[in-house]
Amino acid sequence: MPQISQRAVVEPGARLADDAQVGPFAYVGPEAVLGPGCIIDAGASVMGRTTLGAKCRVFPLAAVGAAPPGADRPGQCILGQANTVREHATVYAGADPPTRIGNDNLIMIGCLIGPGATVGDHGIFTNYTQINGPSVIEDYVRTSAFATVAAGSRVGAYSFLAGYTSINGAVPPFAMVQGCPSRVRGVNTENLRRCGFGDDDIRALRDAFRQLFNGSTGQPDDRLVRKLLAQKELNHHVRRMLESTYAPPGPGVSP
Amino acid sequence: MTHLAVVREISPSAQVAPDAEIGPFCCIGPKVTIGPGTVLRRRVCVEGHAIIGSLNVIEEGCVLGAAPQDLKYGGRPTLLIIGHRNYLGPRVTAHIGTENGGYLTRIGDDNALLDGCHIAHDCYIDNHARLGRQVLLAGHVLVQTGAVMEDQSAAHHFTTIGRHARVLARTPVRRDVPPYTVFGSEDYENQPPAVQGAHEEGIRAAALSAAEEKELRQALRELFDDEEALQTKIEQLVNLGVEGQALELCQFCQRSLQGVYGRYHELFRGKMPPQAEKYLPAEILAAIRRQPA
Repeated sequence: MPQISQRAVVEPGARLADDAQVGPFAYVGPEAVLGPGCIIDAGASVMGRTTLGAKCRVFPLAAVGAAPPGADRPGQCILGQANTVREHATVYAGADPPTRIGNDNLIMIGCLIGPGATVGDHGIFTNYTQINGPSVIEDYVRTSAFATVAAGSRVGAYSFLAGYTSINGAVPPFAMVQGCPSRVRGVNTENLRRCGFGDDDIRALRDAFRQLFNGSTGQPDDRLVRKLLAQKELNHHVRRMLESTYAPPGPGVSP
Repeated sequence: MTHLAVVREISPSAQVAPDAEIGPFCCIGPKVTIGPGTVLRRRVCVEGHAIIGSLNVIEEGCVLGAAPQDLKYGGRPTLLIIGHRNYLGPRVTAHIGTENGGYLTRIGDDNALLDGCHIAHDCYIDNHARLGRQVLLAGHVLVQTGAVMEDQSAAHHFTTIGRHARVLARTPVRRDVPPYTVFGSEDYENQPPAVQGAHEEGIRAAALSAAEEKELRQALRELFDDEEALQTKIEQLVNLGVEGQALELCQFCQRSLQGVYGRYHELFRGKMPPQAEKYLPAEILAAIRRQPA
């Protein structure tokens, strides 16, 4: 039997795993699905067509599956396993596309994940990060406080958004990005080391970043991108970064 | 005023003073202490091992004593201590300490924390500090007496905000802020935040003697006109024999220089910081010392 506080509201139709817990004054809507080991803390809400995978925890007064502004029916929101949504954070449900969050993300206090956003795995979003939907956040992304991602942006894997950064467009994988408008400030070496990248890969990325960005403008020179991609022995991480962010899919570029 | 049908959840083992006012939809956990005259408005959650003193006003939607956001937190029952006469605005969050950081997060007396402030694990706020809206303190931050942080400013791990200093709005604080200074930047895109000058209001609030104030002002002028030469300037002033707050300012800057990236308390990373030993209740400190690391 799920442990449901007598002071919680769990609507008929909600599907709760046997060991799910719901705290006092929490709300679980009629179309919500809570996986094994999920904990919904005091005063938190799970609304809309929301699915929480195993071992997700929603802290006090956070809201998951909130209806996007102006929506006439509940949206959809799919969270994987072991995600943590901290106090006062809001994850909006998306009508089309649904909001998707992968596994093992830490969404800290007061964060906002907008309707239709797609978040990968192992992300850490520090307090008051705002990710507007629809946008794509890849795996292992770290953001610092007050970072903002505009709708339609794509934030590459292993990247780091510094505090107060405002993203409107694409952030290359492995990058450290800062400012408003945002600029690539270097390679996110600390995160890469923690994620087990070798010194050679990090050095190759550093060299490529130095050539491409040089701390000044946001967009690297097209000719330089093509020249790098033409190199046979190009480090595969560098290739991935260039292809995913700067080369439009087409002839000559492997998918 | 009587609340006839107040719905709230107070653990039977929580120690709540009889005249503390607990509003509707509040949740009080089993190891919580709330002192006399403290008011909790609506939907306030107090969990963990939280000790809240007397005459505090805690506004709607505050969450106090929740587990730290630090991934290194091991789940031991660490503490949050809040003193007396503090104002915590709506949706303020304060977390308990971590094992690595000294087991304690502390908010002193007479502080004002406005909407949405976040006091992370192992932070120490002394007395009479004012934190504006959505001010974020990362873990292990010290805010000394009378410091002012304006709206949406944020402090990096292990930084110290000095006595009666003022941090301008939306300033990322990545190193220690010296006492009695205004800290910010005129152009956040191109210039890292730095000391902008003396904090007049802070100097007045400190109510120093005329001689001490004069010496402090002179030290403030000399120390920060060229930060490259800070070390030499400190030595010059100390050799001159400055006293009182001017000497403390010099010592503060000296400690910051000794630290990592201008953050003195980074030296206590992973160790028991002196302020934890000072403020932890004696029996808990003894229990920590007894248990194997």
